[in-house]
Amino acid sequence: MLNTKYTLITGASEGFGKALALECASRKMNLILVALPGPELYYLANFIERNYKVDVVAIEKDLSTEESCIEVFDQVSKMDLAVNMLINNAGLGSTMLFSEGNMAFYQKQIKLNIVATTLLTHLFLGMLKANGPSYILNVGSLCSYFFLPKKQVYGATKSFIYFFSKSLRGELKKDDISISVICPGSMNTNISVTLLLKTSSWLSRLSVMNPEDVAPIAITGLLRHKEVIIPGWVNKIFLFMDTLLPASIKKMLIGNQMKDIKSVTAIGLKQQTVLFSEKQNLRTA
Amino acid sequence: MKILITGATGYVGHQLALTLANQGNCVHILVRNPFSKNIPLHKNIHVFTGDITERSTIKAAITGCMQVYHTAAIIGLWTKDPSVFYKINVDGTNNVLAEALESGVKKFVFTSSCGVLGPTVLRPKNENDPRTTSFDNEYEFTKFLAENLVKEYVHKGLFTVIVSLSKVYGPGIKTHPISVNSVINNFIKGKLTIIPRPGNLTTNYCFIDDVVEGHILAMAKGIGGEKYILGGENISYVDLFKTIRSLSGTKARLIQAPKPMVQIWAILQWLQYKITNKAPVATAKGIKHIFCNKTFSSGKAIRQLGYHPTPLQDALKQTIQFLKTQQYA
Repeated sequence: MLNTKYTLITGASEGFGKALALECASRKMNLILVALPGPELYYLANFIERNYKVDVVAIEKDLSTEESCIEVFDQVSKMDLAVNMLINNAGLGSTMLFSEGNMAFYQKQIKLNIVATTLLTHLFLGMLKANGPSYILNVGSLCSYFFLPKKQVYGATKSFIYFFSKSLRGELKKDDISISVICPGSMNTNISVTLLLKTSSWLSRLSVMNPEDVAPIAITGLLRHKEVIIPGWVNKIFLFMDTLLPASIKKMLIGNQMKDIKSVTAIGLKQQTVLFSEKQNLRTA
Repeated sequence: MKILITGATGYVGHQLALTLANQGNCVHILVRNPFSKNIPLHKNIHVFTGDITERSTIKAAITGCMQVYHTAAIIGLWTKDPSVFYKINVDGTNNVLAEALESGVKKFVFTSSCGVLGPTVLRPKNENDPRTTSFDNEYEFTKFLAENLVKEYVHKGLFTVIVSLSKVYGPGIKTHPISVNSVINNFIKGKLTIIPRPGNLTTNYCFIDDVVEGHILAMAKGIGGEKYILGGENISYVDLFKTIRSLSGTKARLIQAPKPMVQIWAILQWLQYKITNKAPVATAKGIKHIFCNKTFSSGKAIRQLGYHPTPLQDALKQTIQFLKTQQYA
């Protein structure tokens, strides 16, 4: 039978969102890809249609405003597309001291990570109910389990996602909507993160995963109705250790791991190339 | 016209320099070692000693040049010190770009690799297709970073064009121990040749003469900021060696090796490296690159540049002829 349902993925043009889009396409799901304006979104949509023979709709939208979330829903409704899977992946990452960031950045981070996820889930709830069995995948982070310096606001937004997903799960069971939250560790999702991760400590590097390896774990977990998905054995060990170690030792370990990490935000992305000389600074910083 | 070529002691740069010199251009080449046996010799070729990683050494060579072909790069999937990839491929490219902009160069062609586009899913990849897997080696990652630099310079006012090559073969100097030429050479000289299993894995091969012609076409007709794949035919390992066998009459044995077998071989190589410090021929990462389809479409270059790849049979015939008559070892 031809699949007439659609999977909506936010933040789909690069990194984990792109990997999720490719994974869903390989499972013959039709896609609605939402991403920031730019040609990459259309290149990806075109590539998926040609290679996976599924239907792909591309929507250019910056989800950090409420209006744009509503516009996405309106556009999907107008096109009469039946969404049965919603993947709230769009997010803004950062690793920096609280004092280093400005208000505009934190506002954007909170709006994108928290408000857009909440709003889109609310907007699409009726449609998901009507098209059940349905699925919602929210992208949290391993750092919602740990209290990491330089990850204060980011970690707090991801804790929101974790709490929100687990609480909502109970409510939506009767509507045949399964909601999962995935908590990945570091991933090579874009150039600045990839370069940063190459220079970080061995313990952090050990836990780094490629998005294309995490995406199948995410979708398999989602379809198996898993409540929380932790990809990778290193990350699982981190969590297990967390339950064993006393708080004081954990603090020491985290402090050691984080002190070498240079501040970086995903906004600096446009400055795409880091020269070797700068990379050296990264290493020695 | 005065033209600068970097990487002229490399396979592609060497042939390109000779072709441009034959066309009557005044060709400047920037080389680290002016006594290298790979220097292209021609009355129109002028040798400048320098190194793209030292910006100050580029100036003398680039002065007065209207065009730059930047083919210099470090290639390969393995090196003891991965930072040399960043130093040569990224910082080196940045140095040449900066000097080109400063000295008023009109057009700049950057030689890149189809490896940046990554493996194929189903349809041959084109210039805009996204990668489906993360970068897993420094070569492809640094060529990707360099491409971004080249594109950035368009906004700074330098006219740049990128050409992406697939696996290049055909008459020319020997620079790389596991090049397509070397593999063909071993095969036609009767040596046992191992290809991946399944043998229907498909890869793109481009002929050196086409690549040289493609560079010159990209310089003449390429659109600023654009990228063009200069490839040839997509052909499976089995069909490629069948064709070479029928053209050369070689009796060499061909064995298909499954991935796990090659992986074990790579582990042994790695152990040998750890014990004897002998550089490995294959690494686990490198093997991933062999056991996947890498097909590409040169459609854009054919349409926009008038690129005209030589049919595989003809190109292989010329290559076999060259390898048989030359002391290629």
